[in-house]
Amino acid sequence: MRSVITLICVFVGLATLGPMLAPYDPTQIDIPNRLSAPSAAHWLGTDAIGRDILSRLLHGARWSLGLAFLISVTGLVIGSLVGLLAALGGRATDWAVMRVTDTFLAFPELVASVVIAGLLGASTGSLIFALTVTSWMRYARVARGIGLSLKTRGYVIQARLAGLSPWAIARWHYLPSLLPSLTVVWTGMFARAILGISALGFLGFGVQPPMPEWGTMLLDARIHMRSTPLQMIWPGLAIVICVLAINLSGDALRDALAKQEDRG
Amino acid sequence: MIGILANLLLRAVVVLVGAALVTFVLLWHAPGDPALAIAMARYNAVVPADVIDVVRAEAGLDAGFWPAFKAWITPLLMGDFGRSSVTGRDVWPELLTAISYTVPLALSALLVGVLLSVPLALVATRRPGSWLDRGAVALASIGVAIPAFWLGLLLILLFAVQLGWLPAMGARTHAHIILPALTLGLGVAASLTRILRSGILEAREQPFLPAFRRRGVAGRDIERDHVAPHAAVPFVTVFGLELAFLLEGIVVVEVIFARPGLASFLVSAIGARDFPKVQAVVLVTAGVFVVVNLLIDLFYRLLDPRIGERDA
Repeated sequence: MRSVITLICVFVGLATLGPMLAPYDPTQIDIPNRLSAPSAAHWLGTDAIGRDILSRLLHGARWSLGLAFLISVTGLVIGSLVGLLAALGGRATDWAVMRVTDTFLAFPELVASVVIAGLLGASTGSLIFALTVTSWMRYARVARGIGLSLKTRGYVIQARLAGLSPWAIARWHYLPSLLPSLTVVWTGMFARAILGISALGFLGFGVQPPMPEWGTMLLDARIHMRSTPLQMIWPGLAIVICVLAINLSGDALRDALAKQEDRG
Repeated sequence: MIGILANLLLRAVVVLVGAALVTFVLLWHAPGDPALAIAMARYNAVVPADVIDVVRAEAGLDAGFWPAFKAWITPLLMGDFGRSSVTGRDVWPELLTAISYTVPLALSALLVGVLLSVPLALVATRRPGSWLDRGAVALASIGVAIPAFWLGLLLILLFAVQLGWLPAMGARTHAHIILPALTLGLGVAASLTRILRSGILEAREQPFLPAFRRRGVAGRDIERDHVAPHAAVPFVTVFGLELAFLLEGIVVVEVIFARPGLASFLVSAIGARDFPKVQAVVLVTAGVFVVVNLLIDLFYRLLDPRIGERDA
């Protein structure tokens, strides 16, 4: 759990402090210095209209990481509530809710988000909506599974018979069991959200220019692949490093949980 | 068994109808006037209001939601995907052409994935914790984190631009499939390696294996008869996930490599607001997804009979 918390702190720090560290305005155009190689003035060089790539990368963290955080946490909240509704409602509710979940799972996430974002019109708002709508189902499945197994546990039944309010039961008996497993799912979904945002940006359905977003930066860099291939490396590298860090901390958390279960 | 089968089939049907409904709701509530978009795409000019009204009536957009849904779903049940609202031609033949580009790409990517991951996982698990094992894990972890579109661009940069060995754009010759298949296949290989490795390691820890060993069963026989079937279960499950990964990867990879497949079909249909085409693509992908998951569910129960008992 500690590794995940550290990671969140680093990413939040990057998303808030990153723009302050940026040496230039990420949208400042400087045509005479366009497509320049890395130098002392521009550590990572400049793009097709002379904007500083390092500054754009640092500002891009706010979009890529910040939006991914927002989307994955929203999905977590919606999904857990849906999953608990299925677990704690009656059999009919469970069946209906899970079929709705299956229906949403039937669409490959990126195909669905391309359709949604494309039809709503390319903007940050429709990007958030498209990725959130397609991201809650896994949480729902996990939350339902845990909810079902907890419902029949002795201490939960006893708490209910003792007259504890549903909220108190949820807070003291469900949340502690749900949180670790859902955090593991969340790390996976956070990484997917980063990839999804950049993929949509790359396809032109995401964060709109001149805002610097890593996928959109790749789209811009692609045209100049022949003359300045390095320009294409940086945003991709940023994505890979972030996704890798999240995945590794998620794996560590999952292994730690598995060990805990073995002992308990 | 028949009860389980009926239950699974019922689920698949409910999900498919739900998918059709979701698709229709989405298109129905999309902002902007679809009739205007269709008219502009068809006539390539500013169109007067009465022409737009004619287009609206033609596309069945002037009736209410449920009549329009019914008018759409009835022929669909007979396998008729309707006509393009832009060109007026049947959607199905065009869709089939697009699919004929996408399916070979998906299959060759899967092939690349399996051919790379199975040997890698087998070598890695021979001695867990060795530098070979660690290397395989590191490689797979990085492979999972690389977005398909970036990998595709890097491969183009290396093999098409710098070395000039392979063609990158279009689908004219058979060689055109190599780079996109490699792009997708490396991603598939990375995640398959991870799953396969942990599957094998987990299967080796089954409590009955030492019993076999003490009774003198040969190590190779144990691996083949007891470890392999256990490791196969997560492998099959992951195939469903791989399919999702492939369909998603194909969206960006087809766009990068300018292949005229399903994704390019979808992206251009969205641009033109060609609703019948968009609906057809979404439904076909959802249908493939549901059917494959149904098959996996069945296969899974065959491999591990305990699953059927648990949630029957």
